[in-house]
Amino acid sequence: MRQELAQLGGGAHALATQLLGNADDAADAVQDAFTTVLSRPGSYDAGKGALRPWFMRIVRNRCLDMLRRRRPGDVSPDTLHNPAQGPEELLDDQERYTRIHCALTALPPDKREIIVLRDYMDLSYAEIADVLGIASGTVMSRLHRARLALKEALEFDGK
Amino acid sequence: MASNKRQIDQHVGEFLSGYIDGELTQQERQRVDIHCDTCAECRVLRDELREIRQEVGDARLSEVGEDRWREMMDDTGVQATRGIGWLLLIGGLLLAAGIGIYEFVTDPSVELFAKLLVAAIYGGFAALFISVLRQRLIERKSDKYKDVEI
Repeated sequence: MRQELAQLGGGAHALATQLLGNADDAADAVQDAFTTVLSRPGSYDAGKGALRPWFMRIVRNRCLDMLRRRRPGDVSPDTLHNPAQGPEELLDDQERYTRIHCALTALPPDKREIIVLRDYMDLSYAEIADVLGIASGTVMSRLHRARLALKEALEFDGK
Repeated sequence: MASNKRQIDQHVGEFLSGYIDGELTQQERQRVDIHCDTCAECRVLRDELREIRQEVGDARLSEVGEDRWREMMDDTGVQATRGIGWLLLIGGLLLAAGIGIYEFVTDPSVELFAKLLVAAIYGGFAALFISVLRQRLIERKSDKYKDVEI
């Protein structure tokens, strides 16, 4: 289980970063989720679903707790978006990465998280519904709206 | 037939996302295929969304590697074990101290004066220990340089 959890760390961190807007806070959220899971080894029931959506739900809940406790001005989103770093200064792959990163930052958190869950982590619609606690029938429409918003943000960023 | 024609004429909207994700039924896929054959707007949108999906999938949205997470988990294990260790040690000491005090207080062979004397000595040690501990805790809480590595 530890090995599987370590493999989920990167995706969980990406999700937490999109929700919290800060990579350091996101790492704390993921570590807290690891602590929760490892301190209660029997809490995961493989019969009820895959480990990945279950763990992502724990990470997401941890992020929401942190957001509730956060005071205005606590977040430093600089770690997500660095406008001083122009695309011309970066290599090709970094440029593409930065473009996506900046465009995602322009979206509201609910749109960011569904895109990360599907396009970055490759979760199925049923698994996404499980993580977000929504009906599986609404995943497709919500994801489509999020993708259209991302497309718009990318076009705006490209101008 | 007429309703089928009307369906084809309408844009397929969110079904485009379901299509590129492979989450549609065969019938729904056919509907999107037929629509995109005749609607350039939806065809272009489908290809753009597919490209964006690929780009997000290829992006590095987390810079933290798998080894770092493994280290973090080891830290969590060490922390949990350490916590349990301290709990057992303190619990055991308190229990032993409680039994010892009870035995000492109820022992009829020891005189009251001796009991008071021993109680004063141990009480003094306990008071000094608590005082030092309290001071250390206050210092630790208020020391703004505690995270500075030398």
